[in-house]
Amino acid sequence: MRVLLAEDDPLIGDGLRAGLRQRGFQVDWVRDGVAAERELLAEPYAAVVLDLGLPMQDGLDVLAAVRARGLTTPVLVLTARDAVRDRVYGLDLGADDYVVKPIDLDELAARLRALVRRSHGQPQDTLQTGELVLDPAARSVVFKGTRVPLSTREFDLLHALMLNAGRVMSRDQLEQRLYSWGEEIDSNAIEVHIHHLRRKLRPDLIETVRGVGYAMARTP
Amino acid sequence: MTRSRSLQGRLLTLVLGAVAGVWLAAATTIWFDARQELDDLLDNHLSQAAALLVAQQAHGADGDEREFDAAAAPGRYATQVAFQVWHEGRLALRSAGASTEPLSQRTSGFETRVVDGIAWRIYATRGSEHEVQVYVAEQLGSRSAILWALLRSMLWPMAVALPLLALLGWWAVRRGLAPLQGLSAGLAQRAPQALDPVPRGDTPREMQPLLDALNGLFARIAGLLESERRFTADAAHELRTPITAIRAQAQVALGAEGHDERRHALLATLEGCDRATRLVEQLLTLARLEAAPEAASASTDLSPLARRVVADLGGHALAKRQSIELDAPDACDLHADETLLGILLRNLVDNAIRYSPARARIRIQVGRSATRTELRVEDSGPGLSDGQRGRLGERFFRVLGNGQPGSGLGWSIAKRIATVQGATLSASRSDALGGLAVTVAWPQGSPPQ
Repeated sequence: MRVLLAEDDPLIGDGLRAGLRQRGFQVDWVRDGVAAERELLAEPYAAVVLDLGLPMQDGLDVLAAVRARGLTTPVLVLTARDAVRDRVYGLDLGADDYVVKPIDLDELAARLRALVRRSHGQPQDTLQTGELVLDPAARSVVFKGTRVPLSTREFDLLHALMLNAGRVMSRDQLEQRLYSWGEEIDSNAIEVHIHHLRRKLRPDLIETVRGVGYAMARTP
Repeated sequence: MTRSRSLQGRLLTLVLGAVAGVWLAAATTIWFDARQELDDLLDNHLSQAAALLVAQQAHGADGDEREFDAAAAPGRYATQVAFQVWHEGRLALRSAGASTEPLSQRTSGFETRVVDGIAWRIYATRGSEHEVQVYVAEQLGSRSAILWALLRSMLWPMAVALPLLALLGWWAVRRGLAPLQGLSAGLAQRAPQALDPVPRGDTPREMQPLLDALNGLFARIAGLLESERRFTADAAHELRTPITAIRAQAQVALGAEGHDERRHALLATLEGCDRATRLVEQLLTLARLEAAPEAASASTDLSPLARRVVADLGGHALAKRQSIELDAPDACDLHADETLLGILLRNLVDNAIRYSPARARIRIQVGRSATRTELRVEDSGPGLSDGQRGRLGERFFRVLGNGQPGSGLGWSIAKRIATVQGATLSASRSDALGGLAVTVAWPQGSPPQ
């Protein structure tokens, strides 16, 4: 899952980025409000961790601006401002979660996963398609009752497809969801991962839509 | 503990005491006045009676001793008057009960003397013919009785009136002090935390200053509490930042798989601890400054102190390849506390180094004129906008986006120290270097030569 981290404090930003990476997230880190707004509108992030005291543009202004542009990406506000008034204001402006510093990294990761899940209309903490069960928290995949070991990319790809079950995802869309900035992407990387997934699971689980991309069927 | 005296009882005692005192004085005056008048009047009667007897004696003196019929002079005072008429050395006429001895040795005028244990007022006079000597006397006791009767009729109503007056006075004092009672009741009913002003309402004029003082006190306490609350909230808020960093980095170190990753996270954890320490130290300095704002008594030489601080911090400037210079006279004595002055200098120089970019110029000047001493720290950094300068000194205000982990307390501390030392602290644009110029000015000139 690719998330945007907007935090101006170098120590906190560095720690959150490293911690979220350890917990399976792809993290892009911006240090001011203007960059946060620009990146949010440009890239399809699964979620945003937004500090409020950002230079150049306050976090709440970023939030208001991107919501005004119709962006629905889940936003987790992470701040030292703990007054109830601030919380209410932040949530009313369109924040999906409001967390006061300091925070446990595992809790932050869990909250982000919950936000992403809810934003895709998934009430359960696991995703299921037929006999395939994916647990984002444990980062495990179970197929026909047995656990299937997957690489990080394979897991993220399957997660992205299952979250968007019933929709065709283009190769670009999938790449944007899998890779953070500066990561090198082979031209056929997505094809290779899809190939591995089909081999490890079932060949017809992921359908190819020629000329467009890939899709998984939504099972009732 | 001494028992506090009731205002009501005090008022009542004073008023009743004053009334009783005035009454007593009035009664005494009346007593003496009335006695004087009565004496004059009755003495006059005595002399007239004597003159009458003399005249009568001149007409029909037959030489026989006779006793005057007391029944002819009826009344309560009949036995208390007496007279004697002596004719050529013999007692010619006397009243009943009057002695046969001459009433007095005197031949004319008034005399008071005791005869047979009774005090008499005696008037003696002589007739011009036949050697007539007349004495007229009256018991002094009868005069006192008249006086007593007179005063009794006056004092009796007064004695009855006193308790009545006490009752009325008590009621009046109570009525009069009702607003005070109301105020105390109102104050007693207030919540202990309530610091809103007591409404003036229809408070009597005499109580307004007290109420104003009370409301002033409430306002001051509320202000103090508010500033304490704000400071605690701000401090808690500000401590969250380093703690968040420490926690995140420690958790990263815990979950790190590679040696380099763990080492990086642990170093960052330590940096976070240093930041928290610095913040706590600044908070403590500020708290100490607020708690003990006494003025300095000693004298400090600013020049060597500045040299020491610049030497201490110069290393940081050199590390950023900034040029730092000090321009100070050999000696510059100031009436100021050395420790506080050191903290002030350190804060200003540290800020200049911290918030100026690499290769910036920093200049510290100590100057003195006849009327004031000035410490100036200038840099060629980005400076502050007017708006930012206006917000300086708001606790925890810091210019965002400079990549420096400041707490925003340095200026508060510097300002507080300057105030304690009787100096003024101001920030402006540096004309010479283009960045920020901070000036501390003391209204102390160079000592007279």
